Amino acid sequence: MIQIAHGLVARSDLPIPEWLFGWAAAMVLVISFVALAVLWPEPRLQRDSWRPLRGGRVLASRPVEIVCGTIGVLLLGLTIYSGLRGTQSSTANFAPVFVYVIFWLGLVAASVLFGDVFRAFNPWRAIGRALAGIARLFARGELPAPLPYPERLGRWPAAAGIFCFAVIELVASNGDKPENLAIATLVYSALTFIAMALYGVDRWIERGEAFSVYFNLFSRIAVFESRDGQVGIRKPLSGLPALSELPGTVGLLMVMIGSTTFDGGSEKKPWTDVSPDIASAFQDVGLSPQHSLELAFLLGLIGTILLIAGFYRLGILGAKSAGGGFSAGRLSRTFIHSLVPIALAYVAAHYMTLLLFQGQALGYLVSDPLGDGSDLFGTADSQIDYTIIGGEATWYWQVGFVVAGHVAALVLAHDRAIAIYEDAKLAVRSQYWMLAVMVGFTSLALWLLSQST
Amino acid sequence: MSRNQRIGLIVAALVVAVVAFVVVSPGGDSDDEQEAAQTTTTQTETGSAGDDGATTEETETEAEPPPPPEPEVTRIQIRGGAVVGGAKRIETPTGDQVRIVIASDAPDELHLHGYDITREAGPGQPARFQFKANLEGVFELESHTAEDAGKDPLIAALVVQPS
Repeated sequence: MIQIAHGLVARSDLPIPEWLFGWAAAMVLVISFVALAVLWPEPRLQRDSWRPLRGGRVLASRPVEIVCGTIGVLLLGLTIYSGLRGTQSSTANFAPVFVYVIFWLGLVAASVLFGDVFRAFNPWRAIGRALAGIARLFARGELPAPLPYPERLGRWPAAAGIFCFAVIELVASNGDKPENLAIATLVYSALTFIAMALYGVDRWIERGEAFSVYFNLFSRIAVFESRDGQVGIRKPLSGLPALSELPGTVGLLMVMIGSTTFDGGSEKKPWTDVSPDIASAFQDVGLSPQHSLELAFLLGLIGTILLIAGFYRLGILGAKSAGGGFSAGRLSRTFIHSLVPIALAYVAAHYMTLLLFQGQALGYLVSDPLGDGSDLFGTADSQIDYTIIGGEATWYWQVGFVVAGHVAALVLAHDRAIAIYEDAKLAVRSQYWMLAVMVGFTSLALWLLSQST
Repeated sequence: MSRNQRIGLIVAALVVAVVAFVVVSPGGDSDDEQEAAQTTTTQTETGSAGDDGATTEETETEAEPPPPPEPEVTRIQIRGGAVVGGAKRIETPTGDQVRIVIASDAPDELHLHGYDITREAGPGQPARFQFKANLEGVFELESHTAEDAGKDPLIAALVVQPS
């Protein structure tokens, strides 16, 4: 069998033992019913609780923004340069480790802990704003106003962008090859600049630029948020109810949860048993072995996303049947923010050890980004320490993430329900359905963790 | 429901969770599981004395008496750039000695990730890995030669379980 994309993963997690799976699943049910009984009867998270933090003006000041933006641009440049010029071994080159581990996973952790840090470091935003500033100088006055952003587009471009990233990471068999990553980064940068030129830098960052939207979603869990040049503090999770109900948001969440599910499942038994059969069917119609396998994986990825979306839709139809007169589309959009903690739990449980272990590769890669034997900072000989977290501790953290995500999702859905339903009984009845959705997603996460490779 | 009732319910749920955890978790005596995990290696035999080299039939017909006081040896054959019988799975509890002998009919460079051990193999010169399994997780043992040739490099997965 030809290997798919995972050249970076030299160590994978042990499946959680059966007893832990059973205990966690039972706890999820207990928590759900206790939550139904004890959660507050009046909405508590819908109101804005943000207040400025002392020293918050310095943190969000112009010089800090320029420094962060410059760091972002330099890292983007280094990624492209080492991808094109460095060794083509994925673990010895800066680009793959930086893109798949530090950027893709590290920024999720940073967003949840510290708020929307990617906004400050975003190289595309920094370049876009700098270019707009320069253009304004030359134009001697105001630039022509950007095109109005089509309402129906919403967050769909971001959903498409995250899907493409998942295809490169999980489907393309050469997705971890430094050169390919550098080219993909260049193409994405070009598309981003064109879109920014059309719709304006800020609007595109807010709705279309996939990574800005992705990390911003997670940052809404954080207690820190910067507003009008000032960092402030708010209740945890309270950024999520404020998420605007734009088209494409549901699609984005389905891509996020679906692709992590597929990544967790594609190394495990159920999928490794059927994928060779699907691939050989494509080989029979004349495709090369590599393309057949890629096509099988693409179908698997799309199928998983559709299954996740179908399951959410089912829960929403149930909630609609409970009464209240809302359309399924409206309910689907109004509850989607409650799935962000679940998406986070999926990412955290599946990728925690990859970030902790493979992230250490940055130690030697900063000294030798091209893998050509140079030693810029004297750390080129540093190694990955695999003893920082043991197998058992990993299990407990993984289960902890999943259960915590479940609780957060329940709280958010409950808070939204009592805010939108006028009748408290209707709110409770709709919540049985949302509860079933959450239990389903959480059980799926636990089941994936318990499958052996 | 009053405030006290709520707190009571949460406390009751926590107690249930803790008690259930204590009851179902295997605790200290997980010896049976360890033994079960040990015996799942694919081709094991006693002792080390293995210079079976490139001859492939030897290991397949060998049937030695069971008592193994020495650490078990996992033997793997590579023929024509592929593992005979497909990629292996080697399971062991943490802290045990692991011995792997890999015979290849062609020059090969083999690398065990995580433990970061690299060994050369060639006709008549099997690669020998011997180490203490002190890192937990699933680690890949790969052939760099197969990887460079664009083939599936996976030789075996080393599964080290918490003991």
